[in-house]
Amino acid sequence: MITIPAVRSFGRRLFRSPWRDILEYALLLVFVFALVAISSQRLGYYWQWYRVPRYLFTVQQGQLVPGELIQGLLYTFRIAGVSLVLSLIIGLSAALLRLSQSLMGTALARIYLEVIRNTPLVVQIYLLYFVIGPILGLGRFASAVLALSLFEGSYMSEILRAGIVSLHHGQWEAAYSLGLSTFDTYRDVILPQAVRRILPPLTGEVVSLVKNTSLVSLVALNDLSMQARVVSADTFLTFEIWFTTALIYLAILVPLSLFARWVERRVAIPS
Amino acid sequence: MSEAGAEDYILIIDGVTKSFPGGVEAVRGFSARVWRREVMVIMGPSGSGKSTLLRCLNGLERPDSGTIIVDGVPLDEDKAHRNQIRQEVGMVFQSFNLFPHLTVLENINLAQVRVRKRTREEATARSMELLQRVGIAEKADVYPAQLSGGQQQRVAIARALAMAPKVMLFDEPTSALDPEMINEVLDVMRNLARDGMTMVVVTHEMGFAREVADRVILMDEGQIVETGTPAEIFEHPQQERTKRFLNQIL
Repeated sequence: MITIPAVRSFGRRLFRSPWRDILEYALLLVFVFALVAISSQRLGYYWQWYRVPRYLFTVQQGQLVPGELIQGLLYTFRIAGVSLVLSLIIGLSAALLRLSQSLMGTALARIYLEVIRNTPLVVQIYLLYFVIGPILGLGRFASAVLALSLFEGSYMSEILRAGIVSLHHGQWEAAYSLGLSTFDTYRDVILPQAVRRILPPLTGEVVSLVKNTSLVSLVALNDLSMQARVVSADTFLTFEIWFTTALIYLAILVPLSLFARWVERRVAIPS
Repeated sequence: MSEAGAEDYILIIDGVTKSFPGGVEAVRGFSARVWRREVMVIMGPSGSGKSTLLRCLNGLERPDSGTIIVDGVPLDEDKAHRNQIRQEVGMVFQSFNLFPHLTVLENINLAQVRVRKRTREEATARSMELLQRVGIAEKADVYPAQLSGGQQQRVAIARALAMAPKVMLFDEPTSALDPEMINEVLDVMRNLARDGMTMVVVTHEMGFAREVADRVILMDEGQIVETGTPAEIFEHPQQERTKRFLNQIL
């Protein structure tokens, strides 16, 4: 039996080095591209990527003008931003109600959670837009944002509640014996610790909130998905436009996750 | 002393009972009166109800019956009374219960700023003074997890003292500590007693009780078995139960 120690140790070093990750990634890319190439050949699809850029940006009189897709993206940001703030407020309120001593409060929170989490978001958007919106005089944007916020708020409330109850009861007792009010206890003692614990699942909810904004195109709001639908219908560039759209979502959500991880590390309690 | 009026007592406990769901009677008719500047040590086997009693004294547990009066204020359903009492009764826990996300200084400042409405500067000045007193002023800016158990407990004592309480309750303050750290905490408590703080201490530290306590109460099954000065209890226990208990912890 022949042994070649040098080769073996080289193999071991490669196995443990970052080059292994890079190699794996490169192999994956080759695989994906091969798959796309083969399937598009089978479909007989005629790729026209060169027609896509104008829907991202155009240059008019020396100025960069956002195309339909980027306009849609900006609108998606608006919806997601407002919904995020609103859903955090709703989620926190529902969590605190659920944890309160009030029977009425806990019942209200339970009903809200069960109804929202056990019906599809699409149905909620339609209901709010076609039924409740007109009654309350809500516009298209307002009812879509409200539907999204109510939906995401229910998930955030359960995450928040889990974070709050995961804290040791000694924290409550210490705050109580120092004379802190319930409000101060939540603000200064409980929530800062709970939020640190739930940052990872909370990030997941923010990501799914951004993705779920695509459903507001159902009520004809001009978000990224709506624009993609319009552009692809106009141009028949179905594959190119939807691939591009997916890449745009990916390009904003991956940095968002990385940013959340950075925040997590920054606010970690030194030990 | 027999003609002393109620106003000479800072803490009046009368017939306090407390049972928990499931029918466990933790405290069964406990009565005692604590003088200003008195150090009262409560001893007893685990499950004898001493911690539960202590937690009743600042409202962490609600007694089923009985009266608790702190410096003339009854601990009843009146929310203003309860708030006043929990601000004026300091509590030190077995597990420290420091706020892990705040630095040592912030831990001590928090209630001063929020409850006593001091400015941050006033609070910090007082906190630093207290940290000096418990001997860890140099640790003001570190987080609790970076301290040893003994240091954490000293911070917890400083945090309770920052509210200028009229009574300090200690719930087995050294039971969670490594043996070599017990003394640094007991030293702080000795100094506190010497400075005239009224203290109710649940502990098994006989040396501390012998040296510092004005009165020792032995509790078992939710009731007082025997009460007396440390000398009476430790040298000449009257009750068979007391003798048995002392033999066990010696």
